[in-house]
Amino acid sequence: MGSGDGGEPMVVARGLGKTYRVATHRGGALGALRGLVDRSGRDVRAVDGVSFTVDRGEMVGYVGPNGAGKSTTIKMLTGILVPSDGEATVDGLVPWRQRKALAARIGVVFGQRSQLWWDLALVESLDLLRHVYRVPKDRFAINLAGLRDLLDLDPFLATPVRQLSLGQRMRGDLAAALLHDPAILYLDEPTIGLDVVAKARVREMLARLNRERGVTVLLTTHDLADVEHLCRRMIVIDRGRLLFDGAIDELRRRFGPHRTLVIDLEDGDPAPAAGPFCPGVDWVRADGPRRWLRFDRDAVPAADLIAAVAARHRVRDLTIEEPAIEDIVRRIYTEGMGTP
Amino acid sequence: MTRETALWRRLIGARARGQVAYPVSFLLQLFSTSLLFFVELAVVALMFRQVDRLGGWRLAEVAFLYGLSAVAIGVALCLGSGLVAFPDQIRQGGFDQVLTRPASAFVQVLAADLRLDRLGRVLNGLIVFGYALVVLDVEWTAGRLLYLPVVVVSAAVVFGALFVLEATLCFWTTQGLEVVNAFTFGGATLSQYPLHLFDGWLRRLFLFAIPVGLVIYAPSLYLLDKHDPLGLPGWLRFTAPLVSALFAAVAGSLWRVGVRHYRSTGS
Repeated sequence: MGSGDGGEPMVVARGLGKTYRVATHRGGALGALRGLVDRSGRDVRAVDGVSFTVDRGEMVGYVGPNGAGKSTTIKMLTGILVPSDGEATVDGLVPWRQRKALAARIGVVFGQRSQLWWDLALVESLDLLRHVYRVPKDRFAINLAGLRDLLDLDPFLATPVRQLSLGQRMRGDLAAALLHDPAILYLDEPTIGLDVVAKARVREMLARLNRERGVTVLLTTHDLADVEHLCRRMIVIDRGRLLFDGAIDELRRRFGPHRTLVIDLEDGDPAPAAGPFCPGVDWVRADGPRRWLRFDRDAVPAADLIAAVAARHRVRDLTIEEPAIEDIVRRIYTEGMGTP
Repeated sequence: MTRETALWRRLIGARARGQVAYPVSFLLQLFSTSLLFFVELAVVALMFRQVDRLGGWRLAEVAFLYGLSAVAIGVALCLGSGLVAFPDQIRQGGFDQVLTRPASAFVQVLAADLRLDRLGRVLNGLIVFGYALVVLDVEWTAGRLLYLPVVVVSAAVVFGALFVLEATLCFWTTQGLEVVNAFTFGGATLSQYPLHLFDGWLRRLFLFAIPVGLVIYAPSLYLLDKHDPLGLPGWLRFTAPLVSALFAAVAGSLWRVGVRHYRSTGS
């Protein structure tokens, strides 16, 4: 039985839903005691009939604002939470019914909370996890060697976890989640709190992990730059409902039709700060010798536009900017999925 | 089961190693914790300067109860450190992490913390217990010698089960319930005195609902060969292991109900 490595997707979710009962809060010890008996309150639909699949080897971004239902979904797909309705399988197992069996096949990293032992050296923590996950000794040695290389652990392998920088700790946590060769890795905010350099480092390591080892990754984050760098596909959820599921390019095409041509002009060029340039193209901003031209990606080919601009103005330098995924997604949250 | 026990030993061992890495500071901590409880004892000793006997019990006999209870609580507090720390763990999302691992959730929670300095309480109890044994003329029959360690273990199990129950409540309420401490630490303090000193309902509560009286007071009647002013059936003195096993089983079942509740509500 168990998982076929064949065509079946790694994750299948069908109509997955979770309704919480939120108790009306009362103050004080007596209130807390009453809360034990009196379960009155209102129902909150945290996840509302979400369906999607994740193929083996895919790296998918699962994004949404705070309280959108991201972590509730992840909790159901890791077996922590039992859903109110719907079905799901992960690597062929029903997470909430076969929690322990599934636990041996998944890796989970909560960016906000390390699973390493605070007062032990990283290598000791990893060795303890070897026993928790029952990884055979020779397998452990091979995996650790691979992870030391991939995550560059050697500089701090013998350091107590409490002395690690946030970026190092995250790499340690990634190693901890990968020691038992999980078929799928759930990452919950893996770059939270990291500085720019550490963020880039972790992203690069995650990309390698997915590319070279074919680990399936479901990435939950509020930092859309993570998704932009790492995933070809993303799922957007808000208020428990799935808003978009598809390629990031597709998202841009559908919801961010405008690209921007940024031009640095030679001194004294009289290009205006605002106004029409030609049909479908507008000057939108100026800052010193720099100008921004917004154009419709479908109506105006970038090459034609560049040629037209260069014919009328003295251009020193130029770049084309895609709309930031962050802006697009924020627009989806606020304006919904209607015509962009 | 044996696998989970082995895992518990390994996890707890790793925690212990960190703490005894600095032996001098560890020993100092141990003694200071132990010393702290002698204040508690001084109160009892002061009381005996006014009266000769407390409910018919001499100072050394009360010291016997105190020592027995302190050793049991100390062991339970130390080995149950993870349960005591459970409210923080669950609030910070640590229990979610526990559920994503392929091992018993209970073992992982239990082994999440180990406060060896709590053994100071055991040390304190042993000293008081030693004093009681020197002063008292206990007739050590084979039965008493065999029953004493059984009683200590039973009492530790009952206190441990109380900590399990307290931790279990966290599945329903995220606010810490100070009220519950009345039962755990209240029961602990109460068990250090002869039970017949207390009022009827309090007595019944700590005999039959929270059975600290059945594992400390009642067996002590037998061990010290004391008259029972409550007139409890004589065989109740010998039920300590049975009572502790039952109480632990109840606590264990409620824990499992709690985990199920957590997984359906995620609160």
